[in-house]
Amino acid sequence: MELIRNFSIIAHIDHGKSTLADRIIQLCGGLSEREMEAQVLDNNPIERERGITIKAQSVSLPYKARDGKTYQLNFIDTPGHVDFSYEVSRSLSACEGALLVVDAAQGVEAQSVANCYTAIEQGLEVIPVLNKIDLPTADIEKAKAEIEAVIGLDASDAIPVSAKTGQNVVEVLEAIIQRIPAPKPGDTDKLQALIIDSWFDNYLGVVSLVRVMQGEIRPGDKILVMSTGRTHLVDDVGVFTPKRKKLERLAAGEVGWINASIKDVHGAPVGDTLTHAGKPAAAPLPGFQTMKPRVFAGLFPVSADDYPALREALDKLRLNDAAMFFEPESSEAMGFGFRCGFLGMLHMEIVQERLEREYDLDLITTAPTVVYEVLKTDGSVLAMDNPAKLPPPQQITEIREPIIVATILTPGDYVGNVIKLCEEKRGVQLTIQYLATQVQVTYELPLAEVVLDFFDRLKSVSRGYASMDYHLERFDAGPFVRVDILINGDRVDALSLIVHRSHADRRGRELVERMKDLIPRQQFDVAIQAAIGAAVIARSTVKALRKNVLAKCYGGDVSRKKKLLEKQKEGKKRMKQVGSVEIPQEAFLAVLKVDK
Amino acid sequence: MNLIPPPLSLYVHMPWCVRKCPYCDFNSHGVRGTPAYADYVDALLADLDADLRDFGTALDGRRIATVFFGGGTPSLFAPELIGRFLDGARERLPFAPDAEITLETNPGTVEHGRFDGYLAAGVNRISFGVQSFDNDKLRRLGRIHSAGEAADAVRQAQDAGIGNINIDLMYALPEQTLEGALDDIDRAVTLGPTHVSHYQLTLEPNTAFAANPPPLPDDDAAWAIQEACEARLGEAGYGQYEVSAYALPGRRCAHNLNYWRFGDYLGIGAGAHGKISDANGVRRRWKTRLPAAYLASAGQPARIGGDNLVALDDLPFEYMLNALRLVDGVPMADFAERTGLSQAAIAPAMAACVARGWLVHDAVTLKTTALGQRFLNDVIEAFMA
Repeated sequence: MELIRNFSIIAHIDHGKSTLADRIIQLCGGLSEREMEAQVLDNNPIERERGITIKAQSVSLPYKARDGKTYQLNFIDTPGHVDFSYEVSRSLSACEGALLVVDAAQGVEAQSVANCYTAIEQGLEVIPVLNKIDLPTADIEKAKAEIEAVIGLDASDAIPVSAKTGQNVVEVLEAIIQRIPAPKPGDTDKLQALIIDSWFDNYLGVVSLVRVMQGEIRPGDKILVMSTGRTHLVDDVGVFTPKRKKLERLAAGEVGWINASIKDVHGAPVGDTLTHAGKPAAAPLPGFQTMKPRVFAGLFPVSADDYPALREALDKLRLNDAAMFFEPESSEAMGFGFRCGFLGMLHMEIVQERLEREYDLDLITTAPTVVYEVLKTDGSVLAMDNPAKLPPPQQITEIREPIIVATILTPGDYVGNVIKLCEEKRGVQLTIQYLATQVQVTYELPLAEVVLDFFDRLKSVSRGYASMDYHLERFDAGPFVRVDILINGDRVDALSLIVHRSHADRRGRELVERMKDLIPRQQFDVAIQAAIGAAVIARSTVKALRKNVLAKCYGGDVSRKKKLLEKQKEGKKRMKQVGSVEIPQEAFLAVLKVDK
Repeated sequence: MNLIPPPLSLYVHMPWCVRKCPYCDFNSHGVRGTPAYADYVDALLADLDADLRDFGTALDGRRIATVFFGGGTPSLFAPELIGRFLDGARERLPFAPDAEITLETNPGTVEHGRFDGYLAAGVNRISFGVQSFDNDKLRRLGRIHSAGEAADAVRQAQDAGIGNINIDLMYALPEQTLEGALDDIDRAVTLGPTHVSHYQLTLEPNTAFAANPPPLPDDDAAWAIQEACEARLGEAGYGQYEVSAYALPGRRCAHNLNYWRFGDYLGIGAGAHGKISDANGVRRRWKTRLPAAYLASAGQPARIGGDNLVALDDLPFEYMLNALRLVDGVPMADFAERTGLSQAAIAPAMAACVARGWLVHDAVTLKTTALGQRFLNDVIEAFMA
């Protein structure tokens, strides 16, 4: 066990985590040159396209150190986006140490600060690594000073590397050996294995990534899932090298996968403890805090026939994604669908993309909303995740919105823009602190303003340099109203939104105008109105299309006509028929675009 | 598959023009020097021979109901050459005694006396590509003739004894007003043609206009023009029978009606498309596009640009694409006869279109409503696989 090192890497998306990971895998001979595909660990095509990591992955590598001994390095990858911070804490709980990778040219990034605190709180040894020292703009001393100022971590031993060229990466491996402690043996030999992640494999059923804390686990063992009380027979255990490699056992201190032919991922809940059925541990390990979805949206199939397929797809996705929540929703306008909860906007986009790509479903996603607290006149408090379900005004004492505290790091040049953006979004400044290369500002902001387009705007006002982390602080009461959208006089419940009174008129106008541009002309006039209660605050009309017909058709080549009509048909597939009006998918998300 | 052989037409493509018009996406080629007109006629007859051999028994006992010389500008071909082709065709295929034989004509290419020759060659219908009677618009359309020349050409044809005359007009021309469009109708009607084709100018891919769009009336203005022109034509006795076609009673274009009723046609000439119902189903065959390649492969397999059976899934769409254009509709029985599919195959799509107010039918006739005519693309889409 003294030859095992379990570690994670904490880094911002483009600070070079994946490149460093690839370099480490290469140095340990995990993959041949030929097998080495850029960014080996980002398995999911969406992860690879977006250059982000969503799900935890792990890899076990043999490393022959300078002391002559061969160590087993277990690297547990962590996601790098604020939506997925809960996954980070899970990954970290399997480790004794972490590398904090900082771009030596850009300095510390807000997400890394938050994740680094999590690591320190969990008692991990954190090794600062300064990456991209091959860049002419790299400033090692400034970056060290910033680590010390922002995180309060001693950076004098920080290792300067270039993951791109490979320079000094071997020093990182040596530091892992020397500075990160080996796992400590448990009190007994009774099995305790923490489920870090579980996912559904079409062939194997549920596969779980576990960290064995004490005891050991072998194929043929009868294991007990401690929270459910269910027992399963272990089929296989092993590690990723990064290829899947079967082993005879996973021993205390090790991280690897197990496969117990569990059919349903709920049978192996993330954060749960596995033990032997015959010789169970006295108590489970402390689990993880369950993540509460912060953003809710309705997902509706374009065609009602796809409803069962959507349910099945969501069920399967949840096997992989414990943070996703869904329950059936019935909308007057949209028919049957699901109310889904997400950790944030990126999480929502990814789920939607996976449903469409992996399950070939045509979906309408309604505008995301945060969860409001509604204090009713009878004294009860309702957690309201759907504007359509706002109780009538006479039953409401007050509506409270979630307030977050956002920590933003930005280069000094853009601090003015960032402050302006925060003020525009009803933000209240808490602190401002000038650091070596960046400025750190903290703001209280309504989460509702942040989920719309705050991240995109933050990136655009800072040329991509500003970074942000946030946590939920409290709920504040305010003058909120529900703005309804009426199409040809009928309220479309899926388009309702909760808005601060002071923004309602502008939002209503912008939304109606935006929708006018997004709804194509149809065979009749389409009237779009925004209303608060019975009062119409904005209106607009999509004038009727006069005709849609090919001028000429004379027995010649039909292929171009066919393509044209196929394109027309494809376009309609992305539209939901509400009453007699075809509404394109984008129009349901128009509220996200009104500020552009 | 058991298809009842529908009427058979013959389409002949003449690929050359004096100059390519900037809106034109047909297979036409501006002339450089003098094209090999006589060789081309030989190639057409060789093409016909080869097609007859290839199609074999599928053509047994069938007569040519109509012939249409399209282009390009067929009137670049001298009457003797048109006569030589028609004589050759009659030797190879039986023609119906009253066969309608149309020749497309550019009013800028006909010198005096030419129509007597075409009439003698067997042509009995002339279609004039007039497009507009406004000289400014004609220039902008890249046409080589003036309004006066167009009127003269029509009168010459009438004087020669060709009673069946079509005038092609386009509307929604660059910066065209409603008054301008109606004036075009009035001037056409004054000439007393039997038929008017009235098309909206549309920007087609791979044309000079698509690359460099002229300022066209918007959709609403174009619709106002269409409605007003349709009414004006109606007042003058020209009834609309297809999206863009208007005729005096009994003067509808039999050749085009055969396309719209999903009849069969041989396609002879560079880039020509044909459709033949045979024992295997509905076959489409088209010829290589470039005149030089067509001439070089006269009567050889290399003249064929492509040949395939229409997939069963595509038949409802292809049938409706044509049939629903007809204002009076088509016999209900035609669908099964011409596609070999059962009526049941399209029953759900049909019901949906009826529910939307796009189609009406009884046991005898299927037709589009006025709404369906206006939104024909939406109607046809319902029949796509």
